[in-house]
Amino acid sequence: MSELLRINDLHVAFPTDDGLVRAVDGVSLTVSQGETVAIVGESGSGKTVTSLSVMGLHKKGTAEMSGSISVAHDGGFLDVISASEEEIRSMRGRSVAMIFQDPMSALHPYYKIGDQLAEAYVVHNPGKKKEAAARAVEMLDLVGISEPAQRAKEFPHQFSGGMRQRVMIAMALMNSPKMLIADEPTTALDVTVQAQILTLLASLQKEFNMGILLITHDLGVVAQVSDRVNVMYAGRIVEQGGVDDIFYNPMQPYTLGLLKSVPRISKSGSERLKAIPGQPPSLISLPAGCAFAPRCEYIKFADSNACATQMPALVGTKAGHTSRCHIDESKRQASFAEAMKEVR
Amino acid sequence: MLRFISRRMFFAILTILVVSAVVFAIFSFLPFDPASLTCGQRCTPQIIEGNRIKLGFDKPIYEQYWLFLSGIFAGRTYGSGSAAFSCPAPSFGYSFNENACVTDMIKESLPITINLAIGALIIWLAIGVGLGVLAAKFKNRWPDTSSSVFVLLGTSLPTFVTGLALLIWVSIKWKIIPMSLDGYVSVLDSPPRWFMYFILPWITLAIAYAALYTRFTRAAVLDTLGEDYIRTARAKGVKERTVLFKHTLRAVLAPIVTMAGLDFAGLIGGAIITETIFNLPGLGRLTLRSVFEFDLPVVLATTILAAVVVIVMNLIVDMLYAVLDPRVRI
Amino acid sequence: MSSMSALRRAVVVTAARLVAYNPVPGEAGANLVPDLATNTGIPSNSAKTWKFTLRPGTKFEDGTPITCEHVQYGASRVFATDVITDGPAYLLSWLDIPKDADGNSIYTGPYKNTPEGVAAFKKAVSCSKDNRTITFNLNKSVADFNYLATYGTISPIQAKLDTGDAYDLKPQATGPYKIARNNKTELLLVRNKYWSKSTDSFRTPYPDQVVIKFGLDEEVQDQILLEDSQPNAINFDGPLPTNKDKFFNNDEYKNRRMNNSDPYANYVAFNVKKMPCLEVRAAMYYARNAKALLDYAGGPTYAGSYATGVISPLVATDYEPTKVVGPGSPDFIPEGNIPKAKALLEIAKTKCPADYKKATVDGIVIDARQSSTLNDTIPINEAAYARAGIKVKYNIISSGYYSTVMNPAKQSDMTGAGWGADWANASTVIPELFASFGGFNLSQNDADPAYKAFEEKINVAMKTTDRKKQAAMWKALDKEAMKNFWVLPTVFGKAQEVWGSGLGGVFFWVPQGNPAYGKIWVKK
Repeated sequence: MSELLRINDLHVAFPTDDGLVRAVDGVSLTVSQGETVAIVGESGSGKTVTSLSVMGLHKKGTAEMSGSISVAHDGGFLDVISASEEEIRSMRGRSVAMIFQDPMSALHPYYKIGDQLAEAYVVHNPGKKKEAAARAVEMLDLVGISEPAQRAKEFPHQFSGGMRQRVMIAMALMNSPKMLIADEPTTALDVTVQAQILTLLASLQKEFNMGILLITHDLGVVAQVSDRVNVMYAGRIVEQGGVDDIFYNPMQPYTLGLLKSVPRISKSGSERLKAIPGQPPSLISLPAGCAFAPRCEYIKFADSNACATQMPALVGTKAGHTSRCHIDESKRQASFAEAMKEVR
Repeated sequence: MLRFISRRMFFAILTILVVSAVVFAIFSFLPFDPASLTCGQRCTPQIIEGNRIKLGFDKPIYEQYWLFLSGIFAGRTYGSGSAAFSCPAPSFGYSFNENACVTDMIKESLPITINLAIGALIIWLAIGVGLGVLAAKFKNRWPDTSSSVFVLLGTSLPTFVTGLALLIWVSIKWKIIPMSLDGYVSVLDSPPRWFMYFILPWITLAIAYAALYTRFTRAAVLDTLGEDYIRTARAKGVKERTVLFKHTLRAVLAPIVTMAGLDFAGLIGGAIITETIFNLPGLGRLTLRSVFEFDLPVVLATTILAAVVVIVMNLIVDMLYAVLDPRVRI
Repeated sequence: MSSMSALRRAVVVTAARLVAYNPVPGEAGANLVPDLATNTGIPSNSAKTWKFTLRPGTKFEDGTPITCEHVQYGASRVFATDVITDGPAYLLSWLDIPKDADGNSIYTGPYKNTPEGVAAFKKAVSCSKDNRTITFNLNKSVADFNYLATYGTISPIQAKLDTGDAYDLKPQATGPYKIARNNKTELLLVRNKYWSKSTDSFRTPYPDQVVIKFGLDEEVQDQILLEDSQPNAINFDGPLPTNKDKFFNNDEYKNRRMNNSDPYANYVAFNVKKMPCLEVRAAMYYARNAKALLDYAGGPTYAGSYATGVISPLVATDYEPTKVVGPGSPDFIPEGNIPKAKALLEIAKTKCPADYKKATVDGIVIDARQSSTLNDTIPINEAAYARAGIKVKYNIISSGYYSTVMNPAKQSDMTGAGWGADWANASTVIPELFASFGGFNLSQNDADPAYKAFEEKINVAMKTTDRKKQAAMWKALDKEAMKNFWVLPTVFGKAQEVWGSGLGGVFFWVPQGNPAYGKIWVKK
């Protein structure tokens, strides 16, 4: 399995009038061919900023970036942070494609679907308009839109939400990219449609052997399609591991909190949602130590002084499963095992 | 579409009828005797009575209104004997101040106003949209700040100041565009003379509107640039220039066209100040003069004409909107 | 200026009349010269019959030769008072045509008439067999009838081209220029090819075409002339008050400006029917602050001089300071003679208490034409009259001013007006303003006990053919009218004109009160 994306120690900050917003603070992750890597977190945790960084979509002058983002492109690797605007443009949509959360607003309301799809192809294959049109119909068919030739002539508002997301996926596939970034691809959709889209993504991934970077706040979605998971909190990855590691053996109180807050039907029916108490910290003035410490209900098992002053390192008990936490490993296992009973 | 147009036409005609009846009523109830305004210094009650009968002011108001309406379709004859004269259909009455059929007066002045409005429209759209896009693209940099100076000047300087300044400095003092003594020339007869006749009035009108359109376009472009579908276009690898001029402008076009259509209609109704400063014998001047001189038939006709233009432009704008925005169906 | 008044001035170069004023500078400009006629009119039957013989070779702009019938037709239109509403109407009262019971002429013009009317008119205005000599039979002696012949009321018109009142907007030319275009912003005059120098005794057309622009902003007009950016331009109206000093205090413009008396005597007419008390009328005159108003209007330099009567100094033969009012009168004080006004009111208090009450308690109502200067002049007047304890109110009329105040039912106590002589004879002033048969009597003075004698003197003056004797009579009548305070005379107006450096031959033409436009030439 070859690597398609390697993010190393990525920092993204936005200068504002109130101060520097540290949206992404030292994120490292990789995505390889054929695998789905999820980034999970609350809104404002930096997951979308990370994905837009990969596409080079932060506006010039508005974001301060450091670290490296290497994207497999034209047989080599392109460092998005240092690459020229033109190089990034030739990568976008061709080596890495992206689909967005709200398929209604992500499609141009005044252009026909077929034309919008074809444009994605023509941008990278100048002059090949006929081919592009044919390919647009082909892709629409592939994502399960019936009468694709007919529907290519229609406008976005003539499609339902799920169909629009299929259109977005078809558009992303126009140049057969090796990698796909899906930013909350199902959030705006009905639950039944969500499943259809996820199934479609999974089958397409198999067919094209794509790497997928899935951005979501929905653990259900993560569980369905991901191979590996990155949990983000306040711009940092707080836990990283295989999907089973995360769901069955979380090592970080925040991950545990997320799992506990997933709604499920309880036998008694009286159980309320268990939300994580408190609010995420301001990204302008992050605490010196663990960013989650103020909300952590397990802080009693740790050296509270360390939690407040030292940022815990990302360390793991076994290969491929790491987390940031000051809690003593033995105390954690006991108390987390108790909590996981509720989750199951 | 056809149903929409016929429905709108029906309401348009109804509106015009109501407007004309209201204007007619207002002037009928004003404390002025229209017949007494028809003669000069050597006026006698006999002359006034004669003119009252000749022009139909002796009849009840509803009959006068009916005569006015039927005149539009059948023409009208005033007086009797060898001094009788008629205004052929469509007749909007007879101006006793100018001794002319109102329709002829409008026929003479309308082309001038249309020439003025179209030329100004083209200039202000070019400047306004161009500057607006530029200002949005270079937000907070020098093209943006200098265009905001233009917007400030354009919106705060009244037309009569810019117009008089242009006329006195450009034309009279510097003689860059010498004042024409030729009067109105059709573009078909002599394009250069036509251009010289209209260029300063065009600029005067265009400055005021261009400022508004610059501000509007800048805001609309900035708004659109923040839209998700613009991000989609960039994510596809579309060039920044194409993003701006194709994806963004296409979205901004519909509201600009709407605005331009209504502003254009307003100008046809009365570019009074500009026409006055530059002495253009257009509709605005005609309206102004007729109001000051209580030339009621002309006031009535120009008011109705303005209403018709606004109604028709609204219809056109609505249809254009449907063409421009696929989400709108009529 | 309005398009109508521009047209009237253009007529000087487009229309030939039977006779015309001689376009030369100075007093000689008031002399008549033959125009379409071969002479200045031959009176007979003690000036009750006037004959004019047409000069051969004269033509309309369409090439039609001008004949007596055309002049006869032109004269007939005056009688259609319902169609033709402009211009002097002396023919109505002078021509020997019977009147009906209401005192109206039995002839009613060419558009609508009776056989008897037509016959009566043809008898009063007849053409010779060769269609070249026209004869006017009058019902009284009119020594200066030929001055009326300088007006369009007696000028040739082709019946088939007559469109009623509208014809006067674009009349057929008989002079060196014809109207090529007349719209709301300009009047374009071009050469009339059917006019020839050989058949014209005095016209000297210089420019190939004349453009009269109207509706230009006044400030723009002044700038054009200040900058001399249109060297061939002349401004019919004077410069704006704010620009007058720029033209008249700067030697740069000394060859491009003139400042002359205009033909108007301005006054405020007393409605004698509503203000019968002589003392109150006189008090109104003495309490007024004439100086403040004149200064406001531009002072003696630009606005004119205090009026001494209703006959303007421009009607030189008939003018003489009355010494009753204005400079020359012992009681005249420009700022107002308050003691005199108060003394007069004191008399009125017992002599005519109703009038006294109106002046001091109810307020005297003055008709005034709507204008931007009223905002300033009304307070000046109110303050001035308050000094003598007089109250005034204003009835501001925004349109149709004269047609309103000429209606006795609508006229207030006092009415602002101005009058210029139709020609250089006070016969066009005193009878018009003060006779009950006059065309512009705003004083309603036939109610005054002094009227009867006054009218008799007017009739005598009108019949007097000895011009010197007649002039003495007009002077006396002017004086008498002032003594009776039938009007409150204000100023003899002044007018300024400025023109571009490219024009020559601009001089003040006394009888018209403006430059002789036909004599202006373009410097090459």
